[in-house]
Amino acid sequence: MLMQVVGCSHHGTSLAMRERLTFTPEQTREALDHWRRVFPGVEAVLLSTCNRVEIYAATERESTPTLDQIGKFLARFHGLAPAEVVEHLYQHNDEAAVQHLFSVAASLDSMVLGEPQILAQVKQAYQVATEQDNTGPLMHAVFQAALRVARRVASETNLHQRRVSVPSVAVADFARQIFERFDDKETLVIGAGEMAEETLRYLQEEGARRITVVNRNFPRAEELAGRWRGRALAWENLLPALTAADLVISTTGAEGAIVTADQFAAVASGRSARPLLILDLAVPRDFDPVIGDRPDVYLYSIDDLQEACQRNRSERDKELPAATHIIEQETARFMAEMYHRTIGPVIERLRLGWQKPKEEELQRLLNKLPQVDDHARDEIRRSFDRLVNKLLHPPLESLRDESRDGVPRGLLDALARLFQLKD
Amino acid sequence: MFCGVSTICFSASYGVALALELSRLLFRSGGRAAVTLGFAGAGLVAHTAFLYNRALTEVGASLSSERDWYLVASWVLVVVYLHLAVLHPKTPFGLFLLPLVLGLIGTATFLAPSEPLAREPASRIWGAIHGISIVLATVSVLVGFVAGLMYLGQVRRLKHKRPSANRLRLPSLEWLRWTNSRAIILSTLMLGLGVLSGMVLNLINFRDKAERLSWNDPVVLSTWLLFFWLLAAVILSAVYRPARQGHKVAYLTLASFLFFVLMLAAGLLMDSRHWGRVERGNENRGTGSAPTRADFRPSSPGGRPC
Repeated sequence: MLMQVVGCSHHGTSLAMRERLTFTPEQTREALDHWRRVFPGVEAVLLSTCNRVEIYAATERESTPTLDQIGKFLARFHGLAPAEVVEHLYQHNDEAAVQHLFSVAASLDSMVLGEPQILAQVKQAYQVATEQDNTGPLMHAVFQAALRVARRVASETNLHQRRVSVPSVAVADFARQIFERFDDKETLVIGAGEMAEETLRYLQEEGARRITVVNRNFPRAEELAGRWRGRALAWENLLPALTAADLVISTTGAEGAIVTADQFAAVASGRSARPLLILDLAVPRDFDPVIGDRPDVYLYSIDDLQEACQRNRSERDKELPAATHIIEQETARFMAEMYHRTIGPVIERLRLGWQKPKEEELQRLLNKLPQVDDHARDEIRRSFDRLVNKLLHPPLESLRDESRDGVPRGLLDALARLFQLKD
Repeated sequence: MFCGVSTICFSASYGVALALELSRLLFRSGGRAAVTLGFAGAGLVAHTAFLYNRALTEVGASLSSERDWYLVASWVLVVVYLHLAVLHPKTPFGLFLLPLVLGLIGTATFLAPSEPLAREPASRIWGAIHGISIVLATVSVLVGFVAGLMYLGQVRRLKHKRPSANRLRLPSLEWLRWTNSRAIILSTLMLGLGVLSGMVLNLINFRDKAERLSWNDPVVLSTWLLFFWLLAAVILSAVYRPARQGHKVAYLTLASFLFFVLMLAAGLLMDSRHWGRVERGNENRGTGSAPTRADFRPSSPGGRPC
């Protein structure tokens, strides 16, 4: 087998260059069609995400396309100069390519270690290539193994357990630990920052339905409320809205606190001691930090959430050795299977090559011994079989031993010549 | 059929299940939840068989001894644990509930007398109501206690702004608060029913001119104390809104647990006639075996409820 990956990623290529090389879903299909014409008989999968563009190529033939050829292919497709593209590309071959794919699928090579989207993106790239008829037995084997390995890493390590973005930590590590359900909770959004929108997205995934938006700019509040199927309130209604809220996301651009401790004391008297989660994502903070000292108020600033993210990142990093060990183990296993698959036909031909003379000699002997009964005939047949197996055992054992570390081309050639094995 | 089952069988199963729950704190494992449930389930089967055997072979009212009472309470607590473990497999309920289960079994084995009560048919129904309601009140108090502990642990984590621990993932505050308040209400209702049925039993004994239990008996007094405490907690929560705050409810359940321990201690350590005992020196204690007919020496024909 010859397999390689050629591409660029966030590790060594700027975002500007990655943007120029990226493929939309339609372009991916088009590029794969084009690939079949340019490199007939070479299986390919094209993986294009915001952090990487990679072409995985494999063939049973003697050679795969070179880095320059693939660089030219990419450059031509995007209308760029080949030299401009090739200098950004890296290449991994055979075992290194397999290990790279396993690492990518398991999110060990991602910009955010353990981010879950990459597995779906790898799966999608493989599906598209299969639909476009660009995959064959090699790509099926390696991509199916990659998906299995990624699932194994996910189940045997805590790599994916910890959230590392502020909105996801706010929801998974704090909101969900306070509230059992969100469909009956009042969510109040103060301001209209990007982070608020992202947090709202996570909350809606958890079932949040009752959303109120308060903004100094009422049309802006209406716009955001319309997008999130909530209701907009004028700025004057902030304190009554706080009284009714269970969860607050605040991201105003105010220069100081918009809710002081005294103002909140008035709000608290109308809340009947209901718990309140406040995600104060504004800088400077929108809520007086003293408010967080109240027993039923859980107040988190952007710094608190970022600190939690950092802790989670450190926890993920601790999982890296275990995940890497799984990748190495699975790569070795996969390569051994592949090598074994390569020597399989030779073993088969060797066996068949010995089978014919054995049968001929056996038949000749049995013809000369007509007085031999069935039981003795079976014994003679078994004896011949054992003899052939014993004679074949040393070369086959050597072949298997040699194939653990790679395709033993020299030995295969020697066997083919010694035993005159033909395709 | 189940004669070979002893308390050691199911205690060991629950012990292994607890060890598996503890191992959550050390490492991650895919099949651990199923194995833990398997051990706890096997323990429950053995536990059930043991109680069934006791009910069949005991002289007098079935499962009426103090030892049986503890074993039945631990059985119900295991059912609650299995229910919660199936519904919330990622939450280590066993870490909190299984020690209580083992504590109840240990008390049953080493401290609680095993003489059953021989009740008259007229008082058997009331005796059963009395026993079952007190068992359910006990389990409610214990579940409330565990939920209270978890609540305070969760509040502490959230107030310290720490991300949730993967290995010790606690339920949400909302769920814990709901469980706490329901546990208090249920334990109050069950204990109220237990106290009421106990009074009826005592009146039946009075009518039948059997020996009555004194209202000053330590078990009776401590039960009343727990009942009034729970009743006050429920009324306080209903009338005074700040008392509904999660952490206050959690403290109420912790205090209820202390009253409950006091009640059990009164029954085990003080000179009480509640379980039909006259002299504590004659009790069949700590043997771990079911009493035989020869062992059975009823102190009076009627029950001695609180």
